Amino acid sequence: MLVLATILLPILVGFALFALPRDDRTVSRIAGTSVAIATIVMVVAGRDLEWSFRWLSRPFEAAFHFGATPISFWLALLLALCTACAIASTRIPRMRNFIALMLLLEGTMLGLFLARDLLVFALFWDLMLIPVFFGLIGWSAHPATAWRYLVYNFAGGLLLLLATAAFGVIDGSTDVIGRAGVHVVGAWAPWIFAGFAVAFLVKTPVWPLHTWMPLTYTDLPAPMVAVVGAVQSKAGLYGLIVVALAFLPEYVQQYSGVFIVLGAISLVYGAAAALVQHDAKRVVAYSSLSHLGLIAIAIVSGNQLALQGALVYMIAHGLFSAALFMIVGYVEDRESTRSLVRLGGLGWANPRLAGAFCIACLAALGLPGLAGFAGELVMLLGIYQAGYVWPSIVGLVAIVLAAAYFLRLYQGIMNGPELDDLPVRRDLTWLEGLAVAPLLAALLVVGVQPHAIMAAFAGVVR
Amino acid sequence: MHHVMGVDGSYPLLVALWLLPLVGAIVCWAFGPQLKTLSGWLASAMLGGSFVLAVLSWSAGTQNSGGALGAHQALLSWLPGIDFGLLLDPLSLLWTFIITGVGFLIHFYSMGYMDGDRAYARFFAYMNFFVFAMLTLVLSDNFVGLLVGWGLVGLASYFLIGFWFERPTAVAAARKAFVINVVGDVAIMFAIFAIFLNVRSMAFGDVFAAVGSLGSPLLLTICVALFIGAAAKSAQIPLHTWLPDAMEGPTPVSALIHAATMVTAGVYLIARCAPLWSASHDAQMLAGTIGAVTAIAGAILGCVQWDIKRILAYSTMSQIGYMILGVGVGAYQGGIAHFFTHAFFKAQLFLAAGLIIHALGNEQDVRRMGGLRTKMPFAFWAILTGVLSICGIPGFSGFFSKDQVIYGALAHGHPWIYATSIATAGLTAYYMFRLLFITFLGEYRGNAESHAGASDAHHAHHAPAWIMNLPVGVLVLPTVAIGAALMWGGENSPWARYFAPQFAAVTLPAPPISELVTSAIVFMVVLAGFAVAWSRYATKAAQANAVERLRTEAERIPAVLTNLFYFDAFIDLVFVRTAQLTGTLIARILDPHLIDGAVREVVVVTRTAGAFVRSLETGLVRAYALVLAFGAACFIIYYALVAGGVH
Repeated sequence: MLVLATILLPILVGFALFALPRDDRTVSRIAGTSVAIATIVMVVAGRDLEWSFRWLSRPFEAAFHFGATPISFWLALLLALCTACAIASTRIPRMRNFIALMLLLEGTMLGLFLARDLLVFALFWDLMLIPVFFGLIGWSAHPATAWRYLVYNFAGGLLLLLATAAFGVIDGSTDVIGRAGVHVVGAWAPWIFAGFAVAFLVKTPVWPLHTWMPLTYTDLPAPMVAVVGAVQSKAGLYGLIVVALAFLPEYVQQYSGVFIVLGAISLVYGAAAALVQHDAKRVVAYSSLSHLGLIAIAIVSGNQLALQGALVYMIAHGLFSAALFMIVGYVEDRESTRSLVRLGGLGWANPRLAGAFCIACLAALGLPGLAGFAGELVMLLGIYQAGYVWPSIVGLVAIVLAAAYFLRLYQGIMNGPELDDLPVRRDLTWLEGLAVAPLLAALLVVGVQPHAIMAAFAGVVR
Repeated sequence: MHHVMGVDGSYPLLVALWLLPLVGAIVCWAFGPQLKTLSGWLASAMLGGSFVLAVLSWSAGTQNSGGALGAHQALLSWLPGIDFGLLLDPLSLLWTFIITGVGFLIHFYSMGYMDGDRAYARFFAYMNFFVFAMLTLVLSDNFVGLLVGWGLVGLASYFLIGFWFERPTAVAAARKAFVINVVGDVAIMFAIFAIFLNVRSMAFGDVFAAVGSLGSPLLLTICVALFIGAAAKSAQIPLHTWLPDAMEGPTPVSALIHAATMVTAGVYLIARCAPLWSASHDAQMLAGTIGAVTAIAGAILGCVQWDIKRILAYSTMSQIGYMILGVGVGAYQGGIAHFFTHAFFKAQLFLAAGLIIHALGNEQDVRRMGGLRTKMPFAFWAILTGVLSICGIPGFSGFFSKDQVIYGALAHGHPWIYATSIATAGLTAYYMFRLLFITFLGEYRGNAESHAGASDAHHAHHAPAWIMNLPVGVLVLPTVAIGAALMWGGENSPWARYFAPQFAAVTLPAPPISELVTSAIVFMVVLAGFAVAWSRYATKAAQANAVERLRTEAERIPAVLTNLFYFDAFIDLVFVRTAQLTGTLIARILDPHLIDGAVREVVVVTRTAGAFVRSLETGLVRAYALVLAFGAACFIIYYALVAGGVH
């Protein structure tokens, strides 16, 4: 029951907030933060628990079956942490509705990560698009972005649903996530694989299916993109591991060349694009394309170390992306712009803001000692070990590019002379500091002790 | 079977030595506004403490019991097969002495130099953090720990080059230094991949024990990758371009990081990996050649600089070239000896130059100095001893180490490297005496109101002069005498005996030219360099119209030298511009028009299908509906055909 409650709590409180009579900022913030913190506790407490309720028996067996697998546990924890941090420092018009959407987003994504049934997984895959869609409709100037996000991801979701249905019919049950020994074969198997693969690659995203992503990340309000960029981007990669790799390993192996080429293109393409962006959010968005491409390569490389590194890097990427988007949001709150051309010299008046941003950027560019380095090193080590020498070299080149564009981002905002036309605002408030500190602290802890996360992979890969 | 280097066991003193500067950095960073000028004393005290602990660790670091050399302390298990630990052996002990000892003096000096700066405490936090990172680099017992230190010193260097971050030039220099150093970091990562795949361990002991089982192409690959890392950190051609720009940082930073310690990390890396290098003749050839080319190129460029710190920066690049060629060709003791003496005399030169820069109100152009010998006699004598030492005048410290390197190149069978390094010695004498003569002889040519003693009037709360003078005075002693004290006596010198257990002895055929004759040749060449500098800058005729002469000289410098052999232009064109152009192409054309074009095709199709659709948004709605309907249809058809058949 605890597992079910973990998913339902944010959803129910989210709907309850809509019913709140007026837009009370404090109540919304406190309710949202405490629910998110409660889910952190519940995820940890329910680590080994499961809950199941039979749903379908024909044409195949399906169940509302929830419970964390060793991998999804870390992603659910990341999600709950990012949501709590993002809500805690949210400052936005129509706060009540926004926080309600944030909670719905958390609940649906928890449903996705905790689902042990493929059909339920596919269901939450589509449900988690809706809060983001309304977030774009309600809080961005470009409704077209919202539609583009929905079209892309819903198309992917539809393929996922088709593949899931076919999978259920052939296997007889979709209650399979985290179960060993499930294996899909036969004439339909390649098509099922194709359906899953495209859905996961759109969601991640991987080049050339990524064009919804820079727009979505730019237009979403900072607290929501902190969660979407950090955790929703992991949904596709998570699916790649627990569905494609677990049930259709020979197809992953057969098409690994395609994945690796697409991943390598994403790596360089995203990095090169990030070098020249003027919008701070777009720098982070394109950097994500680059980093996620590397994770995709690591997952399909078929190497145990690479997979372990991929999981560490998924957590690390989540932590630093959330921190980066939140801090860019703080900057935008203060100066009403995200343009690197207009910003500069904020570090003099805002040393704490600059310090937090610096740590986040350093983690993102793979500074040794922080989580990003541990993930990158182990992933690339595994990719190299699997015999993919050139992809590992491309990954190393991308690290050099990352240093260039993240320093450009940091220096463009924080360094240089103080500018006369930028209003001087107060430094990081204690609430903002408290919201971003757990993410930065987690980056250090994971960087020094990555093997706690890597142990999750002990039994997954054959 | 793990091959641990050093006597395994608990050695908590080593952990304390390593962590003290980190504690100082955190306290200065967190409580800077409260500590004010106390932060300088605190940071210096932390380094002083570390230095005392290093001295106390002497016997542990040099102990030799049954092949296990030095002390080892296990720390934590990072990943399966990758354990972190600290290793104090003669090699890392020597570096620890320099890092904490010279580091302490430079911290002390900084209390005067940085006095009144708007971010005084932050400066000391970064300096202490640098020392912690550098200790991590030299004390790690495995390649990953070394890489962590390698990356962190790069970060400290970035912070300190860009310390005055209101200056766009400092910000750009900091980024350039960091990015070029990341090139080195990823090269070392690549070496780590190759090592781990073949040895299954990262510990130095395991790797060196397995050298025999690695094939020679693999060994060369590993050495080349490691050398790229060393070249980036130690400013070797073609990855040297960041070092002169790094002079944007405060002068104590140039002395500590960009002269005495961090830039010598490449020398440490090669000396640490001596078993790998000694096993690969091609790697030795590569490192020796690049070192020699860097030595002479740095010296040539040093001859045409006008900024006092840039002259010293090119001289550093050239001297590190000596060290790299020394350890590169296998003359490990010589290369390390030159690191050791260079740390003293170059720190001395930078700190003394800092005295001048400080007194002249941040003037760094030697053309606007001159005649300072009478106005700043202390700085004159300090720089003079440094110049004599770096030129290798017999008796001074630099003489003993430089001649070891030069003769080592010949003894290991590299006559061309030998000849190049002798020529470099002559150029060194020329540009260093040029610096001395232009700065201190003749008439004062500048217009700074506050030179020499007058500076006190400008800064009401100025730190007392002795804070900056004392470290310079202390450094004079090793600059002059430490070479004679430790390196006199060849095989039986304290230096040779100290390193005898560290590096396996090799018997080499006697070279055609003896060591004594080599020293004589070098001395003649140095005298020639001195004579040219004297005739151009020190004679009465040269000083009569110095302003005019220096201007003509500056105008006559060939373009290839004013453009620094076009290295910057080349890197900018081939790498920076290409990356930016690719990025622009993607951001402006590929992404919005070509790839996204496919999506808009869908929109256009739906638009033409429904003639009444006007706006983009509704077009997307149609596309969405279309996809939805198509998908649903597929779903239904599939169920009807396949799912129905199953039941």
